[in-house]
This record gives sequence, structure tokens and C-alpha cells, in this order.
Amino acid sequence: MLPYLIRRHPVPVALVSAFLLAAAFGPWLAPGSMTETDLSAALLGPGGGHLLGTDSLGRDVLSRLLGSARVAAEAFVIVVLIGGVAGTVMGTLAGGIGGLPDMVISRIIDAVQGFPTILVAIVIVALLKPSLTNAMTAVGIAAIPDFARVSRSIAIQLRDREFIQAVRGLGASEIGILWTEVLPNMIGPLIVVASFDGAQAIMWEAALSFLGLGVQPPSPSFGSMLREAQDYLSIQPWLAVVSGMAVSAVILGLNLLGDALSDYCELAGA
Amino acid sequence: MLRHLARRLAGALIALLCVTTLAFFATALAPGSPASVLLGNMATPERVAAVSRQLGLDKPLPTRYLLWLEQTAQGNLGTSNLSFQPVADLLGAALPVTLELAFLSLALSVLVAFPAGLLLAQHRQRMWTRPAMAAITLGVSVPGFWVGLILIVAFAVKLRLLPSGGYVAFSRDPLANLRHMVLPTVSLAIYLAPALVRFVRVAAQTVLREEYIDTARSKGISSARVLLHHVAPNTLVVTLTYIGLQLGVLISGAIVIEVIFALPGIGRLGMSAVLNRDYPVIQGVVLVAATAYVAVNFLVDIAYGLIDPRIRAH
Repeated sequence: MLPYLIRRHPVPVALVSAFLLAAAFGPWLAPGSMTETDLSAALLGPGGGHLLGTDSLGRDVLSRLLGSARVAAEAFVIVVLIGGVAGTVMGTLAGGIGGLPDMVISRIIDAVQGFPTILVAIVIVALLKPSLTNAMTAVGIAAIPDFARVSRSIAIQLRDREFIQAVRGLGASEIGILWTEVLPNMIGPLIVVASFDGAQAIMWEAALSFLGLGVQPPSPSFGSMLREAQDYLSIQPWLAVVSGMAVSAVILGLNLLGDALSDYCELAGA
Repeated sequence: MLRHLARRLAGALIALLCVTTLAFFATALAPGSPASVLLGNMATPERVAAVSRQLGLDKPLPTRYLLWLEQTAQGNLGTSNLSFQPVADLLGAALPVTLELAFLSLALSVLVAFPAGLLLAQHRQRMWTRPAMAAITLGVSVPGFWVGLILIVAFAVKLRLLPSGGYVAFSRDPLANLRHMVLPTVSLAIYLAPALVRFVRVAAQTVLREEYIDTARSKGISSARVLLHHVAPNTLVVTLTYIGLQLGVLISGAIVIEVIFALPGIGRLGMSAVLNRDYPVIQGVVLVAATAYVAVNFLVDIAYGLIDPRIRAH
């Protein structure tokens, strides 16, 4: 699969690889400190000693962007863990068993689908406190329907296929069949969903941290950097430009990868 | 039709009940009792107990919930812990701003995205098709609030054509109102329009594959006329439901955009309430936004049933 992706879709592979490298090795790649301030070197433009300039407290922008990539990756993981696990379990059970469980789960999914994510985030943050985990829990809940609908439709398609009936004839339990036969067959489409919802997760991390509901200063994140940049739009617009371009590149990479992977799944006949 | 209506209404009422419950527990379960928040540094255990009794906070949770529902149904949403103004008044002042922003950007999105989606469906192999689709993917990937910041830099800071934020009521000065709304409207439309173009394109392609389109064409009707009279109306019906589903995105986006452009709407009210732990206001904002969400979805359902009789049968 990877050689195919590299050959046919080099742009998303490059963007997502760069993001993953930054998230994994950011602290070691960073030229400076993410939090160390130097007021004598505040709001510098790109070039010179700081490749991408400095922010209002003189912190190195490139280093902070690398740190933001790690936070974005954490946001991705939280959302895919909550949405992916809960959604896939619900969808597989609904589709695989049918009947009353299917009806109840489908109703719940319909109700959650489309509800304004930000309201859930506001309620969770009001009850607890602003933090990355709390904010992204809301986004994870919003991602449940996406995973549930895909896994449900695949489970329905597979439920009465011959190889499943064969296993059933051998005396396997229904739950066992879902786990060992149905689940492995939905990995491909679920990765496609994870790619798109991961892009959404990073967009939401930026928005919620921008609003002050997510990552708190002085920790860097795409959203908190844009929030700080807003105060200096007339003095140093570069700050907002470069932070926004970085987060957009990551989201674009994941969206394009999702498109590429879904093409691949179609070709592979999954 | 009546049965369809009744079922939808029942669904909407259940959703509304869930939503009010969510709004209630958002504050009822919050750490730190509202009484001690109200008293601030004058709080002593005796005073907190007295104020709690006065606010009815010593009663069990289910009783409080019912009392709260009764009060809310009468339009009494409490007073802000911060400004001591009635929450209903604060919401009443903020709602028109948010509604104007939402309406303008929805209108802009549909006016741009619907024709664009139809054209992209009709002309699949033109020179501009691929760049246009790439631009849409880019549009889906760019955070709308960042576009807002860039628009401020371009049109307010550099060109000095438009204000960078703030609000003037339409009734006071229509022209100034619209000038203030241009950048927020465009930024919020970025949340909706690119995904809408994609959706309309796919929906229109499905319609274009129908047999009645071939029939119309074989009768010698020009493709432009087929697009306008046959494809467009049938695509519009599906698009309406899609817009209903995107309402959550619109509400979420409006909140972020209001904060950036300092628009005194529901979103900015809610955000400052969250950051200051002003629970009655948080409750009011969640209640209003969620009710709007349920109500509009209900209306879309009804409209959909009216336009397309096939829906009612289900």
C-alpha cells in the first residue's frame, strides 16, 4: 500500500510524514526552546537567527510550531481513541446483531450526529477545566457517529456472507464472529474515517485552544499561537500567517490522504 | 402528512428535553457552589448556606431540575454572576447579532456554492475542473477563523477598507452595520461553502444520471435549460437536508468568528461566561443554541416532507 501511495499521491504522503516527524521528534529537531522568553528579540520576522521569526515574548516560532505538531498529534489520538473505539463498537454491534440493539444505537447516533461540537466542549470545560483532553473529549464524542455508521454498514454487508456462515456453523459465538471475522474486514474503511476525522480533530484543537478552552499558555499549540498572534496583527502579521499555514498544511495533508486511501480501498475492492 | 408531522414533533420535543437537561447539569454539577461564587470574598459557611437556601440549592437535584424547567419555560433564566443583569436580557441583546451573522453567511454560502456545484457536475472534463476541485479541498482544510485573521490583516490593517471588528446595529446605521459584517460573513462562509460545493456536485451528478435527464436531452432541450429546470430543483431538495445537518458547523463556526471580530453575539457572550465561570449565562447560551439547533432541524424535516412526498411515507 505504501509504495502505491508514495507513487500516486506524493503530496499527502509528504505532508503527513512531515507532520508525524515533527510530532515524534519535535523537541529534538527544535532549534530553540519552546517556552524560553527573550524580550530583546520579540516579534522578529523570518530569517536571521530565528528561521521563522519570534513571537511577542521572543520565543522561537519554528520551535513552537514543532511543539504544536505534537499537541495536534495528541488531539488526533484522543479523538480517534474515543470516536473510533466507541463508534466502532456501537456500529459493529448494531450492524452485526440487528434488531432492538440496532434500533437503539441508530437512534443515539442520529441524535449525536451534527450536534454543535462547541456546545459539548463548553459544557465539558465548564464542568471541569480548560485542557487539551477535556476539549478533545467533546470532539471525540462528535466523531462517534462517523465511525459507527461506517462499521455498521460493513457489519450488515458481512453478516450473512458465506465465510461468516461457515464460522457460525462451526459453533462460534456471535460476538466472537464480530471480533475475529467482521472487525478485521473493516480496518481499511475505518482508517479512511480516521484520516478525515483526524483532520477535523486538528482543526478543532486549533479552534478550541484559540478560544482558550484547550491548551493553556505557555504551552505551544496551533490554536494558542494564533490567539497570541491576533494581538499583533498590525505589528507582525507574519506570526498569524505562518502559524495558520502550518496547521492548514497538516489538515490538508490528512484530508488528501483520506481521499487517496478511499481510492485505494475502492481499487482493492474492500 | 399529519402523522409525519406528529412523529417529527415528538422527536423534536424529546431532543429538546435532552438538551435542556444537558444545559441544567452543565451548571448544577459544576465545581464550587453558585452561592459561594455570588458571595465572592464575603463568603462564610453561614452566608453560603443562607444564600443556597434562598436560591433553592439545598433541595435535591431532581426537584431543582423540575423547578428550573418551570422557571425556564416562563423565560426566567436567572441573573449573571458577573454583571447581575437578567440572563434573558443578555441573550435577547446578543441573539440578533448572531442571527444576522448566521443568516448572511448561510445566504452567501448557498449563493456561491450551489451554482458552483452544479457547474462542476455539468462540466467534469474542463481545464478549470481540476484546479477548482483542488481549491475546494484547500478550502475544506483551512480553518475559517484563520482566514478571518488574514482578512483582518489584508482589508483592515493594510488596505484600511473595512473595520477589523465591532458591531453597529442595522437599525441605527444600515451601511455601517453591513461594513462591519463583511469580513465575519466571509470568514464564516469558509466553514460552509467548500463542503457545500462538494455535496452539491455529487448530488447533481446523481440527478444527471437519471433517465428523465436523457429524455429531456433527447427532446432537444439545451443543456443549460436542463441544468436550470431539471437538475437544479431536484438537487436543491437534497441540499436542504444537508444544510440542516451542517447547522452544528454553522453554530460552532459563528461562536469562533464572533470572538475574532468582537461581535457581541451569543458566542462571545458564552465564551466570556465560560472563561469567567458565569454559570447562569453558560446555561442560557447552551439552551438557546441547542434549542435553535433542534428547532431548525425540525423545520428542515417538515419542509423536506412538504417538498418531497416520498419522505412522508417513511
